Order: sequence, then structure tokens, then C-alpha cells
Amino acid sequence: MKRFALALLLAPLVAHAQYPDRPIKLIVPWAAGGDTDVIYRTFAPLMQKHVGGTIVVANVGGASGTKGAKEAKDSPPDGYTIFAVHDSIHSTYYTGVADVNYHDFEPLCLVSATPSIITASPKTPWSDMKALLADAKARPGQITVGATLGSTSHFFPAMVEKAAAIKFKYVSYEGTAPRMNALLGGHIELAESNLTQKGKADAGQLKFLAIASAARHPEVPAVPTLKELGISVEYAVNRGLIAPKGTPAAALGKLRSACGAAAKDPSFAEAMKKHGTIVNYLDERGYAAFLKDNDAQNKDVARDLGLLKR
Amino acid sequence: MYELLFAGLANVVQVKYLLPLALGTLVGVVGGALPGVTITMTIIVVLPFTFGLDPLQGLAAMTGVYVGGSAGGLVTAVLLGIPGTPSAIATTFDGHPMARNGEPGRALWIGIWASFFGGLLGGIFLIGATGPLARIALEFGPWEFFSLFVLALSMVAGLVEASLLKGLLSGMLGLIVTVMGVDPVLGRERLTLGIPFLAGGVEFLPVLIGVFAFAQIMTEVERMGGAAPLADAIDRAASLAVSHLKVIWEIVSRPLILLWVAFVGVLPAIGGSAASMMAYDQAKKFSRHPERFGTGTPEGIIASEASNNANVGGSLVTIMAFGIPGDAVTAVMLGALTIHGIQSGPLFISQNTQLAYGMFAAYLLAHPIMVLILALGSRWMLRVTTVPKAALFPVVLVLCVVGAYALNNTMTNVYVLLVFGLLGYAMVKTGFPLAPFILGVILGDQIELNLVRSIMTDANPWLFITRPISGGLLFASVASVAFALWQHRRQQAKLSASEGDADF
Amino acid sequence: MPGRDAWAGLAVLAASLVLFGFTFELKDNPLVPVGPGFYPRIVLGITALLAAAVVAAGFLTRRRRPAAAERGIRYGLVAATFAVFGVYVGALPYLGFRVATFAYIAATNAVLDPPRGARDWLRAAALALVATAVIYFAFERYLAVLLPRGRWIGF
Repeated sequence: MKRFALALLLAPLVAHAQYPDRPIKLIVPWAAGGDTDVIYRTFAPLMQKHVGGTIVVANVGGASGTKGAKEAKDSPPDGYTIFAVHDSIHSTYYTGVADVNYHDFEPLCLVSATPSIITASPKTPWSDMKALLADAKARPGQITVGATLGSTSHFFPAMVEKAAAIKFKYVSYEGTAPRMNALLGGHIELAESNLTQKGKADAGQLKFLAIASAARHPEVPAVPTLKELGISVEYAVNRGLIAPKGTPAAALGKLRSACGAAAKDPSFAEAMKKHGTIVNYLDERGYAAFLKDNDAQNKDVARDLGLLKR
Repeated sequence: MYELLFAGLANVVQVKYLLPLALGTLVGVVGGALPGVTITMTIIVVLPFTFGLDPLQGLAAMTGVYVGGSAGGLVTAVLLGIPGTPSAIATTFDGHPMARNGEPGRALWIGIWASFFGGLLGGIFLIGATGPLARIALEFGPWEFFSLFVLALSMVAGLVEASLLKGLLSGMLGLIVTVMGVDPVLGRERLTLGIPFLAGGVEFLPVLIGVFAFAQIMTEVERMGGAAPLADAIDRAASLAVSHLKVIWEIVSRPLILLWVAFVGVLPAIGGSAASMMAYDQAKKFSRHPERFGTGTPEGIIASEASNNANVGGSLVTIMAFGIPGDAVTAVMLGALTIHGIQSGPLFISQNTQLAYGMFAAYLLAHPIMVLILALGSRWMLRVTTVPKAALFPVVLVLCVVGAYALNNTMTNVYVLLVFGLLGYAMVKTGFPLAPFILGVILGDQIELNLVRSIMTDANPWLFITRPISGGLLFASVASVAFALWQHRRQQAKLSASEGDADF
Repeated sequence: MPGRDAWAGLAVLAASLVLFGFTFELKDNPLVPVGPGFYPRIVLGITALLAAAVVAAGFLTRRRRPAAAERGIRYGLVAATFAVFGVYVGALPYLGFRVATFAYIAATNAVLDPPRGARDWLRAAALALVATAVIYFAFERYLAVLLPRGRWIGF
């Protein structure tokens, strides 16, 4: 028994040479069960098929996603830590919540985009976006919007505010689930959501007023785009993978091609449909340019909001 | 509703869920039976093993531990006179005398079947309560949640046996833990005092594990090396065989007692130990033969065991619907459920029917599994109690470390575990109750968030009182403190100050 | 002579007042009508009041020391158990889970149940080895939970 146990303990010392020779840690900076977690728990098994090693999702939640970002940045750049990033890395940097910036990482690939939808409480009188806009003009600064302050759910309505020349009142509700419950109870009037809430909208528990994609979405053809309504805002929460700066090129290459192969897997697109998410693959070069643009855009929004701290 | 339950049952009987459920129940029964290892501890130890499982698998395992633990405590309570867990204390009053009077099998099986029926009654409540709760819940805005959490905190602080002042102060200390680190509204650092591990705020699970694990293990370590108090044990060779039909008849022929104690167990969701004591007291009051209590009457065993298992159902409702734990076990259970994707809230059950009803089904199924395990292994269970603590404790502490580490894959949580382990032990030694402290840690951010939310929604502070539900809840919390004050006065007049027991 | 209560209350009072002072350094944010110091000040203020009451009560009620309950308590053993655990937690990132846990379980077992002779040492080592191996493989191999690697020895 003892010798057996000893042999088991020492076994990993002897074998192997090639990357990856042990599990790769994928840091998801949000709690289990959230949108990001769900997407990467679907993605990781597909990706590990192509990378040839285990990928373990590690939820490092807290402080608007910046705790996980910090840990990913400080991890040894050996190819065994990768980071599931979304747009909040830009907004939290510019609003001064965290010092981690996308420059601290090497891009692997862009995975998905989830278009945002302006969603209203069933207890509000508005039948469509036009009614909301008229009411907002009549009552400036009084319509309550639930949002994670300084993050994507705050930036999106703020962009609408600016484009439509209206003014909202923000109430802090971190996380999609609490926001949706508050909408249901009528404790807030508006919030950002996405197609994951389609079931509730169909049941009349929520009202989808407008979607921020370029064209109407086939799942909800009756919901107009903001652009049609003359509000030039396009917004989606974009999720990708990055690795700490200094990760060896061989590991980066393998991770990048695995990421691409997994993103192109038809079963991934099928699974994402349920989560109102579009697979939006970009390779590392495309993704680097995307990050740069996105960063500049977030900086502008933060400045407009008076939140810019850098 | 019942279609959903059947769908849940059909789902959970799959091997992939049944296996973790059965294993969880087994570990729960064994952990519950081990004196010195509470259900709280068992849940803490099992939790990291479930991190990698899918949500329903994890929930099934944890539910099994909870149900199994609540029943397991009765084995040692009846046969050795030592409650395996605090919630089985009342079981020793009548269970052990009956066992010593030459009927160990009858005492044991009355307990087991009473747990079974009590648990099922609790389950009916669990399932029946969800619909009405969801309807009321929609009316709960930030004002109501703020007032509800304040009420929960003041009730738990008032329930403790030590001084009310210390109970309240413990609760405030818990709130202070959440004030330091990160402001929950904007996520900015605040009051970190330059300590790096405070920078991200403190996660509540490592705090919970540290406080409870060390408070308990160290109070055991203090007394190690003393004589084992097993002098009272019954003859280990005595037969445990019994006619199950007769025992079951003994229980169901007292439907009023059974219903009433199950009701007492479920209702306040104040935790298994308090519930079983209260139910025992009630059963004695209503009995035609109160003088028989304490000498080995079946009613006493039924009261204690039916109520502590019914309490599991009641507790699951309150943690799922409101995220408010009534005691240590439910606090840890809340942590466990959160990890497996339960976002406590009044609408959780109606919005996540598959998960919620899967868990209800697991809860119901855990009962027959528990009976089966005890039927096969109650004699073997006695041998488990002889595992040396010197071997058990380091392994348990290593599992605590794994649990804290694996939560976020950072050492930070392990340091938190150590720091709060020291604090937990210090609190026990200075007589500060742990339950209000933990509740403060759990509710702190929510209290602040809801306070700030209500101010952001409407600047009028009177809304806390003028909104009817919120006003009522605040009034109830003032009343509960006043009541506790009055009760402590009365008690103090009766008996001179005695050292309150640490509550695990 | 004030009892433990008064000392504990005094410590809490001092801590809450210091923290209360720090809340005034927190900056308000235009997005939130009440600053990040608003709620902490309420909590710390109430805590300070309660702590003061505990101190007062501690001085007012003369308490008899329950000598019987304190007798036979082995604080040395508790301190040793904590110390070994502290060393374990400190060493974990450097030695890695497998080495540190093996040493920790053996050491704690030896502290709680001092070995008399080689046989007992062997038993402690065997317990540590088996427990470490079982925990390690259960988590790392079957439950996909990664445990710390040693920074010094890469194992």
C-alpha cells in the first residue's frame, strides 16, 4: 500500500517533455454560472481536444472581474495560464478600478459577441423604444437604470444616453440575474440584457425595446435595432482569450490554432445560440487590432461619463 | 408543480446524480455519527470534492451530506449517549435511556424512522412553499431586502445563549469584515490598511471554514489526552434487530405529535440544534405523560429526530429563497449552494426549475438512501467513532486548505483561512458567539448594496418605514431585540451566569 | 480586575475607532449619491457603541473565574497545532502541495499523539503518505481541481 502510494506520488516526475504536459488553467474572472463561465465551460472541452491536454476552468471572481485579471497577469508566462477576457478589462482600467490593461497580455483569439438589448420592466408604460425616448425627454434624470457601475452594463446605456440626448438615473445592480429580478419587480425601469433573457421576454415578464446589433436578430425579428431608430449605437459584449505577456511562442502557436479550431466547431455555434451569443472568431492579428479599437472606444465613453481616471 | 418534481426525480435517479447523492449521504451519516465532527465540518470537508462536478451533481452530493448528517448524529446519541452532532442532543435524553433499558434496536429505529418521516414532511413544506414565496418575493425591493437582512441578523444575535450584547457585537464584527477590502458598489479598494490580501475583499467561504473548523478542532485539541467518556456505552454485542412495522406504527400512531414537531422544525428555520430542543420541549408540554420524558419514551426520540430532519427542508427554503442561513450548518450549506450556481433569491426556484426541483428530488431520495445506509451499517458506524483524532484532524485541516484554495485557485484564501481560524478560536475563548459573526460576513455586502440601491433609487429615507413590508420587518427586528433583552433578564434572574456553550 | 470581556471589548472599540477615522480618507464618487465611507461609518459607529457597552458591563459585573472549566486545558498543544499549520500554509507555495502536505500531516499527527519509538514514527509517515496520495489523486486526477505546485522544486 505504502509503496503503491509513493509510486503514484512520484509518477508525474518521470514522464513527458512536450507542451502541454500538465493541465492548462483557464481563468474566468467571474463566478460560476454567469454568462462568461457558461460560454467557456462549453468552449474549454472543444479547445482541449485540439491542444492535446486538459484545460481546467478556474473561476476567480470578484471586484468587477479585476481579481482574476490581476491573477492572470501575475501568473508565470509558461503557457499554462490563459485568461478569459471581455470588454470590462478596458472599462475597469480607464475607470481606475484596476491597473491591469490588455497590453499586459498576448492576444490568442476573439471567440464570441453577445449583442446588448435595452430591456424594460413589465410595469413600465412604454410599448416601444419611441415611448421610452419621449418619456425620458419629459423626465430627465428620473428613469432608473440598473447597472454594474463602470462596467459594460453601465457603458451601454450611457452610450444610448449620449446618442439620444437623454439622461438616466443609475442604480447599482451587479450581475445580470439581480438586474432581471429587479426589472421583474419593477424596482428599476430599464437595464441592459441580452438574448439569454428571451424566455422571460416571450412570457411577458420583460420587454425588449431595442437591440444594439447592426441588423435585426433572427431570434427576435420584432425587436428593432437602435440604428433603425436613429440612435447610432452598436454594442455587444465581446469575449476572447489572452495569455500573459512573455508566453513562449510555441505554446502561443498551439493555443491559437486550438482556439481557432474550437471556435469553428459547429457544435460550439449551436450551443452558443441558446445563450444569445454569436461566434465571432478573429485570429490573433485581427484580435489585436480589435482590442486596440475597443480600448480607444472605451476610453471615450469613460471620458464622456466623467469616469476617466487616466 | 408535482410534474416538475417527477421530472426532477426522473432526472436524479440517473447514475450520474444518484452516485454523488448516495456517496454524500454515506459521508454525511458517518460524519454525523463521529462525535467531534459536526455536520458543518462534514459539509466543509466534502465541499471541495464537488468543485469539479456539474451543478446538480454537486447539489445532490451536498444535500445528501446534509440529510445524512442530520440522521447520523442519532446513532451515537442513542447507543453511546454522545450526540454525534449538536442537533442530536435532545435525542440522547430519551434515546440513550431506552437503549440502556435493553431496547437499543427499538431506540435506534424509532430515531431513524422519525428522521425519515420528519424529513419527508419537511420536504412537503420545501416544495409547497416555493410558489407563494415567489409571489411575495416580487414585491421585495431594496428597502425590503435591507430590512429583511437586518431582521435576520438581529434575530440570530438575539437567539444566542451568551449575552445579547456580545451577540450583537459579533454580528457587527462580521459586518466589519465586509466593510474592509472592497466597496461592493463600485468595486474600489477601501480600508485595506495596506494589507495585500484584503485588497480584493475577503471571500466568505474561507472565513466560514476557518472560523468553524478551527473553533471546533482547537476546542477538541485543548482536551486531548483526557480519558474517553465512553463509560456509559451499551453492550456492543446487543442485538439491534427490530420489527420495522412495529416501529413505524409507533411513530405514525402519533400523527399529531409528528406533525407538530415537524412544523416546529420547519417553521423558524433556526437551525437543527435549536429546532430539536424546541420540539422536544413542545412535545413534553403537550404530552399526557410529561413525567416519562427523559426516561426513554418514544415520543422524546420522535420529537427530536423528526424536527431536526424537518429543519433541513425548512432551512433549504430559506437559503434558496432569501440567502439567509439560520445557523452554522446552513451558513456552510449556503456557501456550498452558491458555488454550485444557486444564486439565492426569491425567484431562483421558479426561474431555475430544473436545478431547484432536481435538488428537491435529491432531498427526498436522500431519505430512503439514509435509511438503507443505517440499516446496513449502524453497527459498523460505532467502530468509526474510534478513529483517533490525532489522525483525523490533520486530514480534515488539509481538506479545509484544499477547499479554500480550490475556490479561486489562490493562496490568498488559504491565508484568510488561517487568519480567521485564529480569530474563530479567540472568539470561542472570549465567549463571542460564532453564528451572528458568520451571518454578518454573509449578509454584509447585501445590506450595504441594498441600502445604497434604495438611496440611489429614491433619496427619501422614510421609505424604509413607510413601505409596509419594509416597515413591518424593521419593527420585527426591534421587537426581537427587545424580546431577547427581556428573556435574558428573566434568565439571569433565574440562574447565575454560566459559561455559554460555543455554538457550532 | 476586569475579565476577558472587557479586554475583548476594548480591543474592538479601539479597532473600530481607528477604522472610523480612516473612512474620512475615502473619496466620494459622482455616480453614487453616498460615498464609500457612508455605510462603514454606520457599521463602525454602532460597533464602537456596542463595544463600549461591553467594556462597561465587563467593569460593572465582577465575574468569578470558572476555574474548574479552565483546568486541564492544554493551550500549549493548541499553540503547537496552530504553529505547525502556519508553517504548512507558509511553505505550501514553495514546497508544493504533495511535499508540504506529507510533512504537515506527519508533523501534526506527531504533535497530537507523540510517537514513542520508531514504529509510531513509521505509522505517522504512513498515514501522511496515504492521506496525501489519496487527496492529491482524488482532486488533481479525478475532480479536475489543481493543487499548488512548489515554486522551489517545481513539484
